[in-house]
Amino acid sequence: MDIHLDLVLRWAHFLAGIIWVGHNYSSVVQRPSWQPLAAADLVDDRSPRFQALLNREHGLFRWASVVTWCAGMLMLWQRGWLPGALGLEGGLAFIGLGMYIGTAMMLNVWFVLWPHQQKVLGLKPASVEERLRCSRITHLSSRTNTMLSIPLLFFMAAGSHGGFLLA
Amino acid sequence: MRHPYDTAAGTVLLGLVLTAVLVALLRLLAA
Repeated sequence: MDIHLDLVLRWAHFLAGIIWVGHNYSSVVQRPSWQPLAAADLVDDRSPRFQALLNREHGLFRWASVVTWCAGMLMLWQRGWLPGALGLEGGLAFIGLGMYIGTAMMLNVWFVLWPHQQKVLGLKPASVEERLRCSRITHLSSRTNTMLSIPLLFFMAAGSHGGFLLA
Repeated sequence: MRHPYDTAAGTVLLGLVLTAVLVALLRLLAA
């Protein structure tokens, strides 16, 4: 194991992970309860500048999810822990479960949230009714990741400090 | 229809419950 690479990967994993999940937590703090969009909310959001800002905002946390995931997988791989984590073997079961949850969260961002969010934001053509429907899906998708981050962070911590749970 | 995700408390509560369930499953797996 290269200790320098391991440190850089861990740093990248933390930093990108905070950017990623921080967006989820920010959303929960700013809008704790579901507030449905109305058709009127979607009427005047077509200016190129507004769209570019939205795209950049969403790009930041989407790509942060990729950096987080890649750094985590590389850490496991270069330590030789990847097979054990995949098989939930022994003490690697904690970080392995965290890896599976994190992978589900990244796939959720890219394959559930983002395609629907593109329609909500007007980046892909869709009727107003379709955009309103998609806004509900993006809400549920985002909150799914917020919810999953709770066990994910627990299992990340338990990987180093939770061995007694399996004793 | 209301969903647990429609409130912050519901979202956090589900996360805590899922954490407890997964820990219990891991302990069963390790036993």
